[in-house]
Amino acid sequence: MMPTMPLTRLLMCLSALIALMLGSMNAAMASTAQTGENILVADVSEENVAITTSFHGTELLLFGALSGQKGDDIVVIISGPDGPIATRRKEKVGGIWVNTASVTWKNAPSYYQIFSNRALDEIISSSEQDRLKIGYKNLPLITEETSLTKQALDGEWRDALARTMNASNLWRTHDKAVSLTSGALFRLDVPLPKNIRPGNYDVRVIHLRDGALLSEKFDVIYVKKRGVGALIYRFAHEYSFFYGIFAVLFAVASGWLAAVAFRRA
Amino acid sequence: MYIYLPIAEVSLHIAVVIGLGGGVGFLSGLFGVGGGFLMTPLLIFLGVPSAVAVATEANQIVASSVSGVLAHWRRGNVDFKMGGILLAGGVFGSTLGVFLFALLQEIGQIDLVIRLSYVFFLGIIGALMLIESARAILRARQAGAKRGKLHQHNFLHGLPFKMRFRKSKLYISALLPFTLAAFVGILSAIMGVGGGFILVPAMIYILGMPTSVVVGTSLFQIIFVTANVTILQSVQTQTVDFLLAGLLLFGAVIGAQFGSRFGAMLRGEQLRGLLALMVLAVSLKLAFDLVITPSDLFSVEILK
Repeated sequence: MMPTMPLTRLLMCLSALIALMLGSMNAAMASTAQTGENILVADVSEENVAITTSFHGTELLLFGALSGQKGDDIVVIISGPDGPIATRRKEKVGGIWVNTASVTWKNAPSYYQIFSNRALDEIISSSEQDRLKIGYKNLPLITEETSLTKQALDGEWRDALARTMNASNLWRTHDKAVSLTSGALFRLDVPLPKNIRPGNYDVRVIHLRDGALLSEKFDVIYVKKRGVGALIYRFAHEYSFFYGIFAVLFAVASGWLAAVAFRRA
Repeated sequence: MYIYLPIAEVSLHIAVVIGLGGGVGFLSGLFGVGGGFLMTPLLIFLGVPSAVAVATEANQIVASSVSGVLAHWRRGNVDFKMGGILLAGGVFGSTLGVFLFALLQEIGQIDLVIRLSYVFFLGIIGALMLIESARAILRARQAGAKRGKLHQHNFLHGLPFKMRFRKSKLYISALLPFTLAAFVGILSAIMGVGGGFILVPAMIYILGMPTSVVVGTSLFQIIFVTANVTILQSVQTQTVDFLLAGLLLFGAVIGAQFGSRFGAMLRGEQLRGLLALMVLAVSLKLAFDLVITPSDLFSVEILK
């Protein structure tokens, strides 16, 4: 997928501005429903991301507007499809490194990235981060049965999960990734690396002032496999026996064809 | 141009994939081996999940074995009776191997077992081949070498279910090739190889088959063993990447043609010596990876 062009980015910022105006009109009209002062709108350049055979990772533009003031902060958390993730620890056994301990997290997000306009710890105190469930320390993770202590799981093992997922480009914290203009417009680039999983990605935009939450906005990005690759994947999973037969027949046919073709040549 | 492999779920450059197929195909044409023992570890080095690498490579070996067996068949160098017994053993062994693979994957030790099997078997085979070809090169320099007995008689000839294999000029127990093929079948399913590099020497030295029919017969049975692995892995783990297999195959078919032409210019014992060095190099590289301290003792795997 092509990176977003500057012109389209400009258009998006403009549309965000229009959205802001519309938003304030809405708010003005529905002032009973909202408090009327905290408006936060956000959108992404592409709500539907297709993993086709030419997919090599992509970058989305997330943009929005807020009725804020100078000094306000924006934190964006994007959390990808949850599922089982295994972390394993190696130990030297008889001279070679062997996995000797493992923890399976039943519901860990395969993508977890936090974006903010300045360092997260400057914006918000750690106790407030806990209360607002910001950061991997505050993910409501459940593990499969294990003999490890809760202390080890929440400390060493959870840190190891974050560290190894970070090395796979999937879990990241990006300080200063959100650019905030006059406390009214914001935008950020969201990297979707080539190894992302298909599924729903929850977007949570948080507007903060003096370390306290003013308002939140939620959105979803849908990542799906499409095209030939999606067909092959579905065929492999839904008709796996015929897929196997087909793969064998294809191999036999091409092997035979190759032998015949090169014999003549 | 990058291509996103739908089952492996990784994005690789298309030139890398076809180039890998071509390179390994060239070597397999040059040395007359399947090349699985090179392709599978290289795919794993490239970031393809080991389960996908093993299952997909089985699919590709079906094609290269079909392509290879035809030439031997035309020359009448396939012992179908022996091939049938080996096939039965191989299908039995590889079925067992696929289940063992799934079990090892579940307990998180599959990578270790794959690596250890490679280190162990490639190490032994490589060392034996190197010694053998060094001797052959030395012997070729000395004139008038003595000719030994055709094969030795030992306890293996006392086993029941004796069968006559005309083409191989053997009268041995069917249990022997069956067990041998079953053992290689297990390795084939776990290591993502055809198993020719173990089966061929075993057929010569353990079964005592004449060299002329060994390669054709081994290729014949590898087709069925790898086809069995392909289908079983498709059903059980859905790890056969059809697109990856197709691209590797495309490169391998072309590479093998150049390899076999180039191979005709080199002498047999030199070729075997080179192959032995290559086998040893792969084995040492994998052994080294097991011994050096990893940069992070923890590793992560996103499960399906």
